[in-house]
This record gives sequence, structure tokens and C-alpha cells, in this order.
Amino acid sequence: MSDPAYPVTRHDYAGDAEELERLEAALEGGPKGAVAVSLIAVALLMIGWLGMYFLVFLPRGTVG
Amino acid sequence: MATLAETIPVPRSEPAISAGKLQVRRLVVAHVWVAIAAFAVACLLGVWQMWARSPLEAPAHTAANYFRSVTMHGVSMAYVLTTFFIMGFGYFTAETALKRPVPGLWLAWGAFWLGIAGVLMAALAIISGNASVLFTFYPPLTATVWFYVGLVLVVVASWVWCLIMIFAMQAWKSANPGQAVPLVMFATVANAVMWLWTTVGVATELLFQVIPAALGLNGMVDVGLSRTLFSWTLHAIVYFWLFPSYIAFYTMFPRAAGGRLYSDTMGRLAFILFIIYSLPVGLHHLLMDPEHSNGFKYLQTFLTALVSVPTLLTIFTITASAEVAGRMRGGTGTFGWIKTLPWGRPMVLATGLAFLMLFWGGGGGLINMSYGMNAMVHNTSWVTAHFHLIFGGTVVIMYFAIAYVMWPTLTGRSFPSMRPLNVQLWLWFIGMMVMTLPWHWTGLQGQWRRIAAFDYSNPLIASWGPWVIVSLIGGIILAVSALLFVWNLVTLHRSSSPRFAVVEVPYAEAVHPPGRLPASLNGFGLWNVIVAVLMLLAYGYPIAQFFIDPPPQAVVHRLH
Amino acid sequence: MAINEQAILNSELRWAAVVGGIIAVIVSAVLYAAIAMHVNPPSNREYVDPKTLHLSAEFTEANLGTRIDPDGRVVARLIATQFEFVPNCIVLPTNREVTLRFATPDVIHGILVTGTNVNTMVVPGYVAQVHTQFTKTGDLLMPCHEYCGLGHTQMIATVKVVPPEQFRPDAEGRAACGDAR
Repeated sequence: MSDPAYPVTRHDYAGDAEELERLEAALEGGPKGAVAVSLIAVALLMIGWLGMYFLVFLPRGTVG
Repeated sequence: MATLAETIPVPRSEPAISAGKLQVRRLVVAHVWVAIAAFAVACLLGVWQMWARSPLEAPAHTAANYFRSVTMHGVSMAYVLTTFFIMGFGYFTAETALKRPVPGLWLAWGAFWLGIAGVLMAALAIISGNASVLFTFYPPLTATVWFYVGLVLVVVASWVWCLIMIFAMQAWKSANPGQAVPLVMFATVANAVMWLWTTVGVATELLFQVIPAALGLNGMVDVGLSRTLFSWTLHAIVYFWLFPSYIAFYTMFPRAAGGRLYSDTMGRLAFILFIIYSLPVGLHHLLMDPEHSNGFKYLQTFLTALVSVPTLLTIFTITASAEVAGRMRGGTGTFGWIKTLPWGRPMVLATGLAFLMLFWGGGGGLINMSYGMNAMVHNTSWVTAHFHLIFGGTVVIMYFAIAYVMWPTLTGRSFPSMRPLNVQLWLWFIGMMVMTLPWHWTGLQGQWRRIAAFDYSNPLIASWGPWVIVSLIGGIILAVSALLFVWNLVTLHRSSSPRFAVVEVPYAEAVHPPGRLPASLNGFGLWNVIVAVLMLLAYGYPIAQFFIDPPPQAVVHRLH
Repeated sequence: MAINEQAILNSELRWAAVVGGIIAVIVSAVLYAAIAMHVNPPSNREYVDPKTLHLSAEFTEANLGTRIDPDGRVVARLIATQFEFVPNCIVLPTNREVTLRFATPDVIHGILVTGTNVNTMVVPGYVAQVHTQFTKTGDLLMPCHEYCGLGHTQMIATVKVVPPEQFRPDAEGRAACGDAR
């Protein structure tokens, strides 16, 4: 009997034909969602960095 | 959302682990409880520190107490919580992933007790007030020698752990020739290799400069050299802390989410890139120091930009793994997979919250490393915000999740409900955001670090007061979360919690489980050579300069 | 298995290219600012002996504070010590390149000037030097920002940034906080 707090469900079992079918279906079409989330995240990071650099840091005066 | 009603226990074909019967059970539990005890004490001290800095009256508020507390808080969080947790998790991984007894258990116990002796020595030194040098202990400020010796013992204990991990992996490879080392163990040994490289800096500083000064053998110390040697350790140490969390992202989260790891190869590459790029970049902590040239500082900025690469790669690989899991559970469309993930499982929830904090903490880090821009933030509360968010947030929230995964296996009991675990994780996230976001703002206003009290009669400082109180509220929420974490683990030691017998190996399967791997992805020979080259490039002259053209030394300032 | 391992690695490589682009933008922007706008961290390998600081020509008490040097540069010299700055108030003009030079006879200190990019560690054995141009006037705080002992909390100086017409050095080229009207 497995840990009832972490139930092993049909969703979790790895290796049988049913899981492989669902896996193939999930991979079809490529990682569109991950690309979207990652692009959004790094776009926000870039905007943040560029904003800080040109709008906050440089206007405060030179340093050297 | 997964519910207990969905349970259809399906046994795997490989041998399962008998819960509560791991050989390393007591070793792991001992290490992790020591880590948690240090963590809990440090959380409470942190709340007091924020209270002391706020406009509100705090009890026992003296400079001596404040700096004792900051030293204890820093040492507990940075050296004790981390080292002991990592050691314990490593032993757990070695037995469960390699499915064989961990070699040298007697040595592991010896190292544990050595570490305990070191912790007690350092703690007593700090409490006495003769070691208020903070966890960064910059000379020429010099504490009692017992403080440093205590830290040395903890580091030596960790070196024993490193050797056991390396040996365990080598023994498994000999017994399984041509096979891929399980990713979870590969990453654990990567961490051990990185730790051995990075501790050289602080060990050299302690053995040749600081301890002789503390013993009265040197009256003078080369401060530029000591800061440079300490900086050698200072960056890769944070990756030492971070590895367990990334190990959980790659090897536990995909399984908890009900899917697979998108790419095992990228997992190995990420950990390798961390080793080679985190070690040479310690000098970026010295961007505001006079003793290094702009040329070497720019090189550091460039290399530090490269160490952001494995994190940026990880973001994609883990998000892709989440997408696979979400789609396998029925999610459709570009974002539909997010909803179908089993957020009720602590490992999944913790990973999501960790990524949210990684955005802010990592973003802050990109600003810190940007050469001249470091001048805007160095030694302000912005820096305090950055490392609390990235370490206290992203890294430590995964430590909680890892503990929640290990504990049923170690104790043979299961959590009756996921709710207190998830509540604890949410409280940690909310507390961390509430505490650290205001620090970014006040830091940009010039609020500086390591101050026992602020003079709120000054108008600029007065404007920070409300934000300091907001941070304090965040800290109180964190303390509540910390106590709830302790309580959640304690419940599994009580006989009133339900028992269970067998648990599956908690590690994720990759979409393409690795077959034969090239030696470079299954061992560290090549990477050690590359590290040596990069360290020479980044640190060779910066250290040699202190011997070629020695600067004037500073007088040792003993604290007692 | 029909799932293409190469397709997965290709998607990772495409993402790695995006990551490479981000890194390139950041390091290029930083390099551009360094070369074209002279925005650099304060690096200055110039030695001074902590034990004889008070005897050095430059950091004797009489030479501390703001002065227009013989070569026309505006230079402020301060000593950072446990637990005060000497002098603990300096006056500097806006819209003119100024240089701040610090030395310490004892332990590690550091300074920042609130609201500006003036920031440097002050390491015993070295003269820490920062060049800047102030863009706004005001009474700014210059705290010691690196832990230097139990009195670290008290160690704060003031930088009065005044418009050029209010910056009136005396015959020797010296300007002190009390002078500004």
C-alpha cells in the first residue's frame, strides 16, 4: 500500500502503454506553453533590467 | 486537483522502499533536525532584529545584542541549516537512488558529531559576545578563535560527506558499468565536487590569516587578500545551498506533478554549468572594492551573466515538464495545462511558489552583477532583499517540500492531510514577499545594511519607517510558517499518525530515460579541468597580485 | 517510443539561443556604458599605510574635506574610522565632476551617498576613490554601510550638494559645510 497522502493514481504511473499514450499526446505540438511562459518571464525580466539601467541607475549620475 | 478518492495503488515493477526501514534513516533524521533547529532559532532572531530596526520599541535592544543576533542568524542560516540539510538529503538520495547501502556509515556519524561539536563551539562563542563578526567575518575585525575553529569543524564534517557521496557514486558505477548514474545522484555528487572546490577559499583565509590572527600569532593582516579569498567561496556556496532545490525541480517535481522530466540531458547540463560558472564568479562580491581592476571586474560580470544561463535553462525545462504533466492530466491550449496540475501536492505547490520568487530574486541578482550598476545597490537593503528572496524564498521553500517527501519514507508514517503542509508553504511565500519587496524600495532610497537601529528623527529615514514595519509583518508571517513547518514534521514522529509500509521511489522518470551516456555527462573528470582553467583565469592574478606587489597590512582588531 | 528525443533537444537549443540573446544584451549594455559613458565601479589600486595615515601628506587633518586641487579638480578627502567620518560633513557642487577619496586607519568600512551612485568599500591599505557628477542638490546622507564594529550604527556623515553659485571655496581652494549660505 503506498503513502495515502501521495496517492499513486493512473495519472502518475510511469511505464505502461496507457501512460505512454498520454505522454505522446502531451508532447504532440511541442512545448508551446512552456515557450510562452518562459518568453513572458524573460521579457518582463529584460524590461525590468533595461528600465532600472536607463531610467533609475544612469540618471543618478556617473560613477567610476 | 488530486484527491485521495483518486487513489488506485499501482505497484511499480522495481523494488520499492520499505518505509521506515532505510539504513540511513536515523542519520538523515538527525542531520535534518539539527538543520531545522538552527533554522527555527534564526527565524525568531530575525523577527527580533526587524523589530529592533523598526520605529517600534524592541526589548533588550542594544548594539551588542543586535550584532550577536545578526551573527547567530547569519551563521545558523548560511552554515548550519544549509550544510546539515544538504548532508542529510545527500545520504537519503544515495541510498534511495542507488538502491544500495551508503558506504562508510560510521564515518558519516563521525562527521555528524564533529559538525555538532563545531556548531556548539561557534554558538557559544557568539552568545558570549566575543564573536560579533557576522557570518562574513571580515578581518581585521577578529573574534575569539573558538568561533572560527567551530566553523572549520563544520566544514571538515561536510568534506567527509563529499567524499562519501563521491565514493558511493564510484562504487555504483563500478557495479553498473556503462549505465547512466541516476540524475538525482549525479547532481548530488556535482554539488559535492563544487563544494570541495569552493571551500578552498574560506579554508585558506581561516587557516593562514584569520585563525593565526585570533591566536595572536599575527598582529597584521592583508585585508584585500582575505576579502578575495573569502569571495572565492562566496558565490559557489550559494549554489551549494541551491542544488537541493534544483535537484527537487528536476527529479521530484515532475513525478509529483504526475508527468515526466522533459529532458534528462538538460538536467545534467544545468548542474555541470552551475559547477563551471559559479566557482569563478566570487569576485563579483568585490565590485565596489578598490583592490581589483575594472578589467577583472568586467570579466566577472561576463562570467556571472553566464551563470544565469543554467537557471534560465532550468526555467524552461521545468516549465516544459509541468506542461507535459498538465497535458497528461487533460489540460489543453497554450495555458490550460497550468490549471490541471495537482497544486494540492506540496512538491508541486512549492515549485510554483519557488519559481515566482525566482523571478524577483533572480531579477534582482541580474541587477546586482551589472558592473557599474552595482554601485546603486551595494550594501543597501536591496542586497538583503535579494538574498532573502532567492535563498530564504526559492531555495528554502524547496527544502520544506523535500522534507515533506522524505519524512513519510523516514518515519514510516504518512501525513493525514496535505492542508497544513500547503498552508505552511503559502505562509512562507506570502511572508517572504511582504518582507522583501519593501527592502528593494528602501534600498534604492539608500537604506544601508547591518544597522542596529535607525534614527527616525531624520526625515529621509523617517520615510522608511512604515516600510520597515511592513517588512516586520512579513517576518512575523515567516516565523509562524517556520513553527508550522516544525509542527508538521513533529506530527509524523507521533504514534497517532497513520502508518504505511511501502513507498515508491520518489524520483521522476525522464521522457527519454538516459541510455549510455558520454563520460562527460556521467562524471566530473573533464569539468574539474575546466574549473581549474576558469579559476586560474578569474582568480589567478587577483590573488597573485597580493604577493607580487604586497599592499600595506591592517592592524588586527580583536573584539575581546 | 515515437517521441523524438532530438525534437526535445532542439526545443531546448532554441530556448538556449533566446537565453544567449538576453546575456548578450546585458553584457553589451554594460560594456557600452563603461566605454562610452565612463560608468565603472570604483577601482583604485593605490596604497596608503593605515598605521601612518595621520602622518601622510594627503590625509593629515588639515587637508581633509573639500578642496579645489592645484590641477583644478574638486576633491573631497575623508578618513573613515571607528566610528565616525572626519570631517563628518562635506560640501560639493552639482554639475561638475568631483572626486571623493577615503582612507581608513583601522577596519573595513564602506560608503554610499543616498540617492546617488556614489558607493565604495573603504579597505585598510588602499585609498578608495570615486568620481561622480551630482545631478541634484540637497543634504544627502553618507553612512558607513559595511559592518565595522558595535558602533557601526552611529557612523553617518552628511554631504551637502549645492548649486555651483553657492560653492565658494576660500583662497586656499577649501570649502567646508559651515561656509555654504
